[in-house]
Amino acid sequence: MDMLRNQRYRRHDLIDWFSQEEVSAARIAVVGAGAVGNEVVKNLALLGVGAIDVYDFDVVEPHNLTRGVLLREGDVGRNKAEAVAERAAALDPNVRIRAVPGDFWRTLGIRALQDCTCAISAVDNFEARLKLNQLCLLAGVDLVNTGLDSRWASVESYPYGSAPDVACYECTLPDSAYGRVAERYSCGGLRKRALVERRIPTTTVTASVAGALAASAALRFGPETTTGSRRTLVDTLGGAATTVSIPRRAECPGCAAYVTPPRVVRTRNRWLPPSTVADPSLLTLPLRLSDALIASWECVACGPLEAADRYVNQRADAFDDSIATCPSCNAPSVRVEIRDAFTLGELVERYGPRPAPVKFALADLESGTVCFDLDEDRPS
Amino acid sequence: MSQEIKLYVRTADQTRRAELDLDASSTGADIIQAAVDNWALPADTDYTLVNTTTGKALAPGDDLSKAARPGDVLEVQPVLVAG
Repeated sequence: MDMLRNQRYRRHDLIDWFSQEEVSAARIAVVGAGAVGNEVVKNLALLGVGAIDVYDFDVVEPHNLTRGVLLREGDVGRNKAEAVAERAAALDPNVRIRAVPGDFWRTLGIRALQDCTCAISAVDNFEARLKLNQLCLLAGVDLVNTGLDSRWASVESYPYGSAPDVACYECTLPDSAYGRVAERYSCGGLRKRALVERRIPTTTVTASVAGALAASAALRFGPETTTGSRRTLVDTLGGAATTVSIPRRAECPGCAAYVTPPRVVRTRNRWLPPSTVADPSLLTLPLRLSDALIASWECVACGPLEAADRYVNQRADAFDDSIATCPSCNAPSVRVEIRDAFTLGELVERYGPRPAPVKFALADLESGTVCFDLDEDRPS
Repeated sequence: MSQEIKLYVRTADQTRRAELDLDASSTGADIIQAAVDNWALPADTDYTLVNTTTGKALAPGDDLSKAARPGDVLEVQPVLVAG
């Protein structure tokens, strides 16, 4: 077995800039197991990366088969992460491949991310990219973001792990991208029921180009002189490519708050009674939560409602805008207060010994931003 | 009094190209919007601007006085969202 292992990587050993030892020591989180995710996982597995964690909530559909190199007809209906991980594991048994079904925002914690060399974003919407960007910024882990359409492939590298003052994904993101995210929600902040997501056609050609560049960027192949954030855009029809550096934006909504990299503090997701808090002034400490919560749910016509317990203090993204209809008078008259900013005292009062349904809480202290990692005890 | 700066603006596929005298206070977002309007670029796509002469991407609020010099080539590139 060892002999086979040694022979497997022999050609890699002939490449002067390639370190199989470093590649085999790497652990990569691949978020999204669609067209690009398939290509990325295939490449990482063939390169002999030590460990690959594949995250996806979605199931395989027939149209995925034209772009999913690791998918087969028999996989239709299966979770994408599981199907991709299973087939990739057969490429190289030395690679530890783990499938993580479900929404990565619920399954990928800061601690798990900090065990990774890099996270590769192979998702298909801005909202997921913004969330993964935040996680990587907080964890101090490199992010490689991919995107494609039927002609173009782009790969962006954000080396948060080695250079914390580099530009982030949001530094050059146009305002229209935030508009796309906002389209998913009603004006009150609840997810829209009848949203039709736009479908962007792609082919395996653009996916394979993006997947190859992403694997290379994740493993930091290439000259050491390129240290900052950068983007490569490839025209897969004409073959032209441009690479530009991405400067940090002073007023960036993603990273400007972090004058210094946030300090991550692992904390139990439990909230002690106010009387046990040594310094009562701490109860007024403002916290920005990872997830927006429903702070109140009340009909403007009927007043407080019996069903409020079902919604109040829950994550807002767990519900759609149907909960704005009053179950008592059937009018769209429920005022749903949604926010992600609470004081410590409010959380103590609302949750007490129960965990709050959030991943983390950020506090701006004199010493800089602190991220309280609350993920370990978060309810599923 | 605002200053003007002569620049070349093009699309990533280089099927659209223009030599323009632009107000130096124009931002990356202004130039993208003008390109989308004048060249009828697909409105359901998002765009970013890069200075191919300096090899740097522009932030939406960056103005030309800081991000470009006369004769630079600015490229309107799609922000790709599919995976």
